[in-house]
Amino acid sequence: MYSTESRRLFADYLYCQKDYLRAIDEYQEIAGTAGSDTINFKIGLAYLKIGKYEPAGLSFIKIKENSYYYSNARLEFFKTQFLLSNYDTLERNGDNLLPVKQLNVFSYLLDYKTLPVKNKLLSIFEGEDRRAVSDFYERKLNPPYKSELTAIILSTLIPGAGKIYTEEYSDGIIAFIVTGIMGYISYTDFKADHKLRGWVFAGLSTFFYAGNIYGSAASAQIFNAKVNFKLSTDMKLFIENKDYFIPDYEFCK
Amino acid sequence: MNSVNKIVFIILLTAKVILPQGQLGDQFNKAKELYSKGEYFNTITELKRLIFFDRDKRYAYISNELIGECYKMGAKFTDALNYFTRAEMSATSSEDIYKCRINIIKINILRRTTGRAISLLDILEKDSRFNGKREEIDYWRGWAYIFADDWDKAAIQFSKISPDHELKKMCDSIDNERYSVTKAKLLSYFIPGAGQVYTGHYLSGLLSLGWNILWGYTTVTAFQAGRIFDGVVVGELLWFRFYNGNNQNAEKFTIERNREISNGALSYLQNGYRGEKP
Repeated sequence: MYSTESRRLFADYLYCQKDYLRAIDEYQEIAGTAGSDTINFKIGLAYLKIGKYEPAGLSFIKIKENSYYYSNARLEFFKTQFLLSNYDTLERNGDNLLPVKQLNVFSYLLDYKTLPVKNKLLSIFEGEDRRAVSDFYERKLNPPYKSELTAIILSTLIPGAGKIYTEEYSDGIIAFIVTGIMGYISYTDFKADHKLRGWVFAGLSTFFYAGNIYGSAASAQIFNAKVNFKLSTDMKLFIENKDYFIPDYEFCK
Repeated sequence: MNSVNKIVFIILLTAKVILPQGQLGDQFNKAKELYSKGEYFNTITELKRLIFFDRDKRYAYISNELIGECYKMGAKFTDALNYFTRAEMSATSSEDIYKCRINIIKINILRRTTGRAISLLDILEKDSRFNGKREEIDYWRGWAYIFADDWDKAAIQFSKISPDHELKKMCDSIDNERYSVTKAKLLSYFIPGAGQVYTGHYLSGLLSLGWNILWGYTTVTAFQAGRIFDGVVVGELLWFRFYNGNNQNAEKFTIERNREISNGALSYLQNGYRGEKP
């Protein structure tokens, strides 16, 4: 039950049961024995599955050049670096591996680095992938941001207009109605010589007016943050669906 | 020589049959020892190892059940359910099946999927194999209602076991202690702030009453002076808003108070109650 072979079989069983933590423990017990490259590779994969990218990377690095899994381990190592956002490491892709080059493109799109020329980035993709990456590139280069200054100016001129500009339609209409009503009540109160009430509603009107200007600027900031978030989420989802451009292994068939 | 060969053959054959079983038994004892020390992660590992090498599935029921217990101790309820279900599939007697089902029901109670727990208890009750288990089924149904925050129904279940059951008395007392959401809202509909006062939030109740009087008075005087627009706007934007907020507050405070009462009772059940718990 505790022989090397038994432990290996049991670890494989745990791995295929998706009990990765226990599989790692078992593999580590026999990591120094024969076939340790395969074991290290599986340890790395198990760490990857549970989102422990640093130890995963360290396991992949241990695999020797003469190993059957060497090239896969290189790919997986670069994948861990991508997931750790160590994008600079991807540039040092000495093996010139295509999936790493493809991940490197996404490091440009996800990071704040200067974007290279579009055609150069797209040259390593084909078909649907190429179209999708091209779309991401355009969205990164010309994000549909809303200007805070424009939102402020619009709300200063017409209460609520800044909110409508940032696509917060119901907020914009409500801001316009509330500010207008408060102003109108204040005006009629002063006209009827109800000075106290007039000042109260004038104060409320000013409060709503100023709040709406501030809110429009904040709304533009939120809108822009959403644009960035959506682009980043869409790209991450795309890469995930593509399995990070790395073919899957059939250990559990 | 021939008989010597026979003896050797029999010894080898016996060893082949007995030794692995002994090894499996040792492995199970090792897991049990880890369990008794509270090392649940390691217990699960050793039990999974046992299941993996137990080709004849002799330990399948007991191992899966113990794994379920370990996951339960670690609050991994979905995994616990999975292993109790596996244990049920390996069970060979109706007593073992019953034990697994009760474990599954307990998990459903703990993770507050109480509707599922109650429907499983109903199935168990209808099963003729478990006719002698009525009291126990009522007991766990009572617990399911406790976790569903339905103390009245829980008291009814415990009273079926005994009218003086400790948990029956406790559930009755909690049910009496709890505030009625309908009563709080009705009070607030007629006298703004009264619902808050009912739940013991006196300052909030008085403030609510004050705001409603102020904006109600302003609205009425505006209409009396012929300032219809003022009246409509103040009534709509201020009075109605405060009146509505008062009703919502009454409901919110009642729910909060009831939650405090329920949590206090659950805390007692967890730490002070000595009977069987989920």
